[in-house]
Parts: sequence; structure tokens; C-alpha cells
Amino acid sequence: MKKLIDILPLVIFVILIGVLFSFLSNKNNQLETVLIDDTFPKFSLSSLEDDSRLLTQLDISELPALINVWATWCIACRVEHPFLMKLKRESIIPIYGLNYKDNRRKALELLKRDGNPFEFSIFDFEGRLAIDLGVYGAPETFFIDRNGVIRERHVGIVDDKIWEEKFAKYLYE
Amino acid sequence: MTPEIGHILLIVFLVLSFAGGFLPLTSVYLKNQTFEIPIKKLAFSLFLLIFLSFLSLVYSFLIDDFSVAYVSQNSNTNLPFYYKFAATWGAHEGSLLLWILAMNAWLISFMFLTKCSDKNFTNAVFSISCQVMFSFCLFTLLTSNPFERILPIPPLNGADLNPSLQDIAFTIHPPLLYFGYSGLMIPFAIAVAAMLFNVDTKEWAAYSRPWTLLSCSFLTLGIALGSWWAYYELGWGGWWFWDPVENAAFVPWLLSVALFHSLIASQSRSVFGKWSILLSIFAFATSLLGTFLVRSGILTSVHAFALDPERGVFILGILGFFVIGSLLIYSLKDFKKDEVKPYQLSSKEFGFLLNNLLLVILAVSILFGTIFPLIYEAATNGKQISVGAPYFEIILFPFALALGLLQGIALYLSWGVTSSFNFLQRLTLESVSLFGIILLVLFILFDNLYLSSFATIFLACWIVAGTLQVSKKRNLNYWNFLKKRLAVTFAHVGMAILVLGVGVVTSYSIEKELILTPGDEFEFGDQKITFQSIEDTLGPNYFSKSANIIFEDEKDISSVVTEKRTYTPSGQLTTEAGIVTEPFQDLYISMGDNLEADIWSFKVQIKPFIRWIWLGALLIAFGSMLAGFNRIQRS
Amino acid sequence: MNRISIFCILISLSFGNFASTDKDYDFNKDAYPFESEIKEELFYSLLFELRCPKCQSSNLAGSNSPISNDLKREVYELIKKDKSSDQIKTYLVERYGNFIIYNPPIEPATYVLWFGPLALILISIFSILFFRKRQIQ
Repeated sequence: MKKLIDILPLVIFVILIGVLFSFLSNKNNQLETVLIDDTFPKFSLSSLEDDSRLLTQLDISELPALINVWATWCIACRVEHPFLMKLKRESIIPIYGLNYKDNRRKALELLKRDGNPFEFSIFDFEGRLAIDLGVYGAPETFFIDRNGVIRERHVGIVDDKIWEEKFAKYLYE
Repeated sequence: MTPEIGHILLIVFLVLSFAGGFLPLTSVYLKNQTFEIPIKKLAFSLFLLIFLSFLSLVYSFLIDDFSVAYVSQNSNTNLPFYYKFAATWGAHEGSLLLWILAMNAWLISFMFLTKCSDKNFTNAVFSISCQVMFSFCLFTLLTSNPFERILPIPPLNGADLNPSLQDIAFTIHPPLLYFGYSGLMIPFAIAVAAMLFNVDTKEWAAYSRPWTLLSCSFLTLGIALGSWWAYYELGWGGWWFWDPVENAAFVPWLLSVALFHSLIASQSRSVFGKWSILLSIFAFATSLLGTFLVRSGILTSVHAFALDPERGVFILGILGFFVIGSLLIYSLKDFKKDEVKPYQLSSKEFGFLLNNLLLVILAVSILFGTIFPLIYEAATNGKQISVGAPYFEIILFPFALALGLLQGIALYLSWGVTSSFNFLQRLTLESVSLFGIILLVLFILFDNLYLSSFATIFLACWIVAGTLQVSKKRNLNYWNFLKKRLAVTFAHVGMAILVLGVGVVTSYSIEKELILTPGDEFEFGDQKITFQSIEDTLGPNYFSKSANIIFEDEKDISSVVTEKRTYTPSGQLTTEAGIVTEPFQDLYISMGDNLEADIWSFKVQIKPFIRWIWLGALLIAFGSMLAGFNRIQRS
Repeated sequence: MNRISIFCILISLSFGNFASTDKDYDFNKDAYPFESEIKEELFYSLLFELRCPKCQSSNLAGSNSPISNDLKREVYELIKKDKSSDQIKTYLVERYGNFIIYNPPIEPATYVLWFGPLALILISIFSILFFRKRQIQ
């Protein structure tokens, strides 16, 4: 009994070290996505291309699809842009843009210059839909399956590797 | 050339500290004189080596030698020279050098100031410390060499020191904190040596006490300075955020406070011998653990260092080696029974026991809360939570209350048994009258009383009354009585002042976010705030928008400047708050965003008694330093 | 790891450029005017309790990032709509998860967090008293 108490601190400490060690190897840098396995939130916002055209969740009609959160002030988005263009070019999956807290004129100029990978872009100047989606930075990408359910989300640049790791599997479901 | 010299000195240090780490112990165990080495000389040479190595890094910073990777990452030609100097410890690699330097300084001070009766004991302390320094040095050389060069083409200019570190408080804050952390190596080494040589509890506790007190004093100063820095530099007027890094410093602080209290009992009454040993080990362990949490990147934090999992593994290895090693000795050893005089529940011993219990469980809870989000994520398969200020405040409150109540009666208790609790009457009377006075003052100052602050304010009065014991004035020479316990008086009154500051500032603060354009006025509390003008100013390595603000009330007018700085090398933004300090309150304003043309958002706050928090902390640090020096003189 | 940190830098840089937009400010000097003090207090206390999802090491009160300004606006509007503190928290948790609140929820997985300290105190007090009794005997 007496001895047992003497060993207790050692045991506790070894467990602590083990736990900390396990944290070292699996570090996740992304926030959890609450909306996974939920339908895409309702919204009603104007289109980037046409001020007077009102878009709702029903306009995201070609499914499965990607929703990509982008903006002209987001430098990482420009790094990601060619990959989105490639998806578009090879008709792998339709992409809908969510233009996030941006300047409409600048955004249209950028699409004109670098190409437009999106079916259309939702113009979310105040970041309202973004909040409903739990967006906290750009770029962010959501995968919507054929039933309109959000299946996966990636924060940061999507490239071939991320596409294969996170998204491709949902395409062939 | 200089970086190479520094590098070589560090390698020599590694070799010598390795020798120092096992030769003296071997000679003791083999009872063989051939392995004996002059440890004082060795300690000095080690110090010289690490000091010169450190200086050579300082030199590389001062001459802008950007071929040194560490310099190029943390300095810039436009950086003022005092920040170049401070940049030496501004990031991971250099701070490790400073850490080793601090450990070495502690070791030398111990060897020259604490006279141990047994030479073997000193040898053992020296050896264990050398092992710790060796492992840190190895860590530095293998994973974080500050002298690494970028060759053949060095960059023309450096990336600059992190702008939020370009600040007076932040140049002194890390050294103080590192001295605090590393100082805990001495109690650790003493505890292990005491186990190895079966030293009497009374004896080793006497050796350990001053060094625990001094480390605690440095930790207090470091933490207080960090809190002050956060207050004016992070731009939202918070002084304690319960950020992982802050907790990582707070936990060893709590344990060091627990340790020196327990050592008092160990030294005076031979009690809690094993407990003090465990505490010494864990105080040191948590100071390493803090380093691990901050530098491995497993937790997100304001003050995070450049992150590297490999470093995390290494620190964990060091931590595991020393702590598991010493706990193994602890669990295998047959402690001889100390002659302990029995004590009652009403005794001073039991008071110390309660104090330790509360402090240690509080420390464990804070540590657990800090890493809990990781555990939760692993246990729930990816769900995330945050454990922050609201949680820690809820947890802290009952502990603080219990500790404060105990602190108030602590100095009345006697060893063995406290014969009479008659003092409670006087204590209550004194603290209630003090409480009344303070409420009156608060009411006069702020026209308001908040029920929510009563508990903390009363607690502060209780501690002050219990520490000063004014009623003793009648029957003995009061000033002599106080003079004899000057250190504890300072420290405990400091605690009371801190508690008072916290209580008032949490209840009485007011704040608002404003949108103003030059010429605008706004009534806030009893202040009229005028946004006078905005100008562009230019610093040595930044440009800024400075807003001139005037605070005006019935009595005085004061003007302050709050700035939004853009540091040119990195493009990073910082906010410099404008603060008017009055005796009883701070008027605080910080600039937010530029909304349009000349329209700016501001955050304005009135924070009564906030300075008292740091004043209290200073008194605590002073008290424990005084106690530490007193103990050194006596031993 | 590295890519993510570069990404973060890019994000923060790009937010740095994102200072002004073409919105007209019909501004009130009080950035968040309320009709009652209780609501105002609720607002500022919520800012302390909510975590900025982008900067992650500060609360909404301490952050000037665009996302936290948006969230402040959201909280403000919800309070104006007479939503209670709990309703607002639920609203945000439905979008950002419990991560966004610095105060963890009380649920089976967090019992150990919330009641652990108390349990430790009770266990140690009882064991001290128990051992003392045995020693005296």
C-alpha cells in the first residue's frame, strides 16, 4: 500500500508524457465543420455577375458540386485559381463561387483576366452566408453531394493532393 | 568568424557539461579520488563558455550579420540597436542560450552562497545541474542551432524582429521569466541529491528554500511584466488572458509558491519531507512542460514560437528523462522516517498542508484545462472546444477564496497546535472596518458599488488585516514585530493589493467601441473624449497613423496618442494603446480600423485600480526576493 | 505544416490590404448603440467569451480581423432582436462549433473538466483525514 502511493506520481507522469507524445504526431490545424452532413444553408444574395439577379440555395442545381470561398484580397486564392481552372477545363465537377467580402468591380476584373472557373459566384459582401457556413478565412472549399448535403470542407488551398485526399472519394459515391 | 567561435564554445560547453554531469557523481560512488574534479573551477569555466557564446550571438546581431540564419530571421538593419540586442533572445534558438546561461548563473550562485556540510551533496547538485544543462545544450546544437549560417549567399537584410516584441517591457520580460524557470533547476537538483544521499529533511530544505524563493520572485516579475505588456500592446486592455503560454508560466509559479511554503514546514518541523521532494520535481517538470507546450506548437497561442514537432519530441525527451528518472528514485527509495512532532488540525503545519493542497490542485486543474481541448478532440473524434478565461475564472474563484481566507489566519497559527482562536474576533473586526473604508473610498471615487466585487474586496481586507495584525500594537513593540517578518509582510500585503486590484477592475471597468472622425467628441463615463487629429508619423522601422486623443473631466485634461503601426520589413500591424494613468484608474484608448477616409474605430475603456495588480505583483516579488536573500545570509 | 503556415501568412497579409471598401458609413459615434444598458453589458461580455475563429488566440474583443468584426455585427444584431445570451451562443455554435465559445459546455465528455478539481479536493481532504486517523491510532 505504502509503496503503491510512492509509485503513483511516476505512473501519472508517464501517462502524461504518453498523452503529450501522441498529441505531437496528430496535430489538426483546421476547425471542425459543424455543417458536415447537413444541407446547404438557405441564402438569398445577389450574383456577382449581375447585381439584379437574386440567387438562392436552389440555384446550386448541378450536383455534386464544390463551393469555393474566394476574394480578390486573398492572395492564397490566386495560388489556388489554376487548380480550379483545371477542374473546370476537365469538367470534373461544377464549382460555385462564394465571393467573400469583396469589391464587385475588382472581382469581375480578376475573373476576366485569369479565367472564370465558377458556374456563377454569389456576391456575399457582408459575409452573411459565410457566417452561416462557418467560414473563417479564404480560400475555403465545400463539397456538396448529389442530395445537396455538405460532405467535406477544406480550409486553405486545394490542389491535386488535397483533392485526392479529401474530395475525390465523394465524387464516385 | 564570430558565429563559428560561438558555435565552438557551445560545443566545448557540451563536452565539459557532460564531464561535469557524471565525473563528480562517479567519484562519489566509486569512492575513487581519480575522478574528482575541481567543480567550482569547472562551474566557472562553463559559465564563461556559455556567456561568451551568448555574447558572440549578441555581436552578430549588433553588426547585422545576416549570414547567420537566426539573425536574418529576427533582425533588420533598421531595427534600433537596443532591440537588436534584445532580439538575441527574441525567438526560440537564442532564448535557449539565455536559458542555459541563466541555469549556469543559478548554479554558480548556489555553489558559492550555500555552504553544504557534505561535500558530496554539493557535488551531486553540481552534477545533476550539469546534466540538465548538457541536455539543453544538446537540444540547442541538434535542433535549434542559433549560429547556423546561410551560405554561400547571405540575405541582404533580415526579416525583422516580431513587431509586438519591439517594446521595452518585452525586452526584459523573457530574461526574467527564463531566470524564473531555470532557477527551479536548483531545488530539483537539491531534491534529487537529497534522495541520493539520505540528507535530513531539515537540512536540505534549508538549502533549497532561498533558491525556490528567488526563482519564484523572478517568475512573479516575469509574469507581471508579461501581463503589463499584453495590457498595452495587444490593444484590448486585457491583462490576463488564460492563454496556454500564460498558463504555462502560471503553473510553475503556483508550484514554486507551494514549494517554498512546504519547505518552511520541512525546515522548521521536519514534516512533509517526501512531499517537498515531489513538489521540487514537479515544479521543475512544469517549467519544462511549459517550454514544451509553447515550443512544440501543439497549442495555439498568442506568443507561439516558430513551431517544429521535432523540437517537441526532444523537449519531451528531456522532460521524460529527468522527471521519470527522479520519480523512479523516489518510488524505489526507502525513506527513513523523520522524527516528527505530532500536530493538530489547528496547527501551522496543517495550515501549510492546506495551502499546498489548494495550490497544487489549482495548478493541476489549470494544466489540465490547458491541454484539455486536445484530449477532448482525441476523445470525441474531431469535435473541438475551447477552454478559456470564463472557465478558468470559475475554477480559480473558489480556490482563491479558500487560499485568501487561509492566508488571513496563517500568520496567527502556531506549530503543533494553535491554542486559541480568539484572534478571529479581532481579525474580523479589523478586516470589516477596512472593508468599510475601502467601500467608502470606492463610492466616493466612482459613485457606485458593485455587489459582485464585495467578495474579492473583503478577501483583500482579510489578508491585509491578517498580515499586519495591527491589534498586536498594544502588547508588543509593533515595529520590531513587523521588521522581523518584513518579507512575508511585503509578499502577503502584495497579494492583498493584487486581489483588490483584480476585484475592482473586473467590476468597475467600462468600455465602448466608438466610431469617430477628427473633431468628434464623445461623453464616456465622467470623461469627455475628443478625437483631435490624425497624423502620419515615421519611426525607425515603421510608419504609423497616430490619433491624438484628449480625455477631459472636471478636474484635468490629458492628451494621449494611440497608434496603428505598420512595420516596414514585415508589413505587420501593431496597435499602440494610448493610456492616461491616474492614481485610481487608467483611461485607455486603442485604435481600431480605418473605416473610411478619416473615420476610425476606437476602443475606449476606463479601468479603475488596474495598476494595483502589478503593484501587488511587484510587492510579492520583492517580498520573496527579500526572504530569499535573508535565507542565504542565515545559512 | 509548412504550407499551412504560409497560407496563414498569406491570409493575414491579404486581410491587411483589406482596409476599406466602397460602403457608405452612416455612422453613429457609438459603434454599437443599444437602447438599454443590460443589452450593452451583454454585448461586451459576449465579446470576451467568444473566440475569434481566425486568429484563434484572442477573443472577439481583442481582435480586429474582418471575420471577428462580422461576428460582432452578428452578435449585435441578435441582441437587438432580443435574443438571449444562450440563444446567441447556440446560433454561433451551430455554425462554428463549440470552439467559438471560451466557456466549454457541460456534457459527459467535459464532466472531468468541470468536476475534476472539486473531486480532487474532496479525495485529498478525505485521504488526509483518513491517514491522520490511522496514524493517531
